[in-house]
Amino acid sequence: MILDAASSASLTVQATAAGASTATVLAVAPPAHAGRRLLLVLETDGGERVRGSLGSPALDASALAAARGALADPRHGDDLVTLADGAEAFVEVRRPVPDLVVVGAGHIALPMARIGAELGFRVWVVDDRPDFATRERFPTAHRVVRADFSDPFTEVPIHNGTHILLVTRGHKYDYDCLVKVLRDPARPVYIGMIGSRRRVRATFLQLLEDGIPKERLAEIHAPVGLDIGAETPEEIAVAVAAELVKVRRGGTAASLRDLEDVAERFFPAGEGA
Amino acid sequence: MTYLDDLALERALAAAREAGRACALATIIATRGSTPGKVGAGLVVDPEAGLTGTVGGGCGEAEVIEAARRVLATGRPERMHVDLMDEITSWSPAMCGGTMDVFVEFVPPAPTEEGA
Repeated sequence: MILDAASSASLTVQATAAGASTATVLAVAPPAHAGRRLLLVLETDGGERVRGSLGSPALDASALAAARGALADPRHGDDLVTLADGAEAFVEVRRPVPDLVVVGAGHIALPMARIGAELGFRVWVVDDRPDFATRERFPTAHRVVRADFSDPFTEVPIHNGTHILLVTRGHKYDYDCLVKVLRDPARPVYIGMIGSRRRVRATFLQLLEDGIPKERLAEIHAPVGLDIGAETPEEIAVAVAAELVKVRRGGTAASLRDLEDVAERFFPAGEGA
Repeated sequence: MTYLDDLALERALAAAREAGRACALATIIATRGSTPGKVGAGLVVDPEAGLTGTVGGGCGEAEVIEAARRVLATGRPERMHVDLMDEITSWSPAMCGGTMDVFVEFVPPAPTEEGA
């Protein structure tokens, strides 16, 4: 089967929506091979699927190596490469769909869902309250899910491209969600949690008692967002959005988390909240 | 740029396939100097549904659309070199001073077997 652009695009959309990454190698020269493509799908569990062919085993081996190299480099952009026998190909990398899962559909979730959608995230909003988890409140969300916080992610994909923001109304709920997330084999690219230092510390101590390793807790962005002095829900959403961009692009602006003394969270001596 | 905007080309290709129509896909595979379209940018030319996406607009894009019509007629891909430099004295906003390589491919109305 020849892998044409439409079939390749459809496979890529399906794969990246499920958290996989893809690299497409499109031969552009010589003419005998031009227009043929090979698609490498790298699943979240590290498994590989290969579709299509550039028309010879040597070219395919060389294309596969180029595809693997491109996927292994987080900064890899689309690029022309030279393959075996001087053939030329265009390599296109697609990363997992950037999912933003906002847990808690309250006053911060509203601007967060709007800004998140504008930034290219596929936004999911989860809440246990039917009056809050409504389509009307979140017109830009991909899905609005009503679910208990004890099991919030049954309908929501948690994969390596997932960004999770916990903005629930109580730290009991944050705790319930974090236990689920941190015990899942997938490693979300971002976990942020809103809350006062007291609330964050209480949640972390409970998680430590449950045997969640400190290293995992250190991955959590709490306090959440960049240090811009945000106060209103909209400002907080902007601070979080900026932190999401920082995670995506690798900027240097200061996150509130990094300004805090991390160890202090685990040894709550000294000042209170 | 929302998540769905990002998938505009994929959706256009899927729509043509769904309708059983051939279309052409143009992709910028290389640029030199300053160009309005970046590497990886694409344009779907669908004879019924029209254009989706852009390779930068202006005269350069017009050349690419011409090539896409040829590709649709012959079924053979073309690699083209588009020069955006020779109109340096023009006032066109699409005048940028660079060049780009664009690969234009035929997208069949249905999946095809090897050797068909």
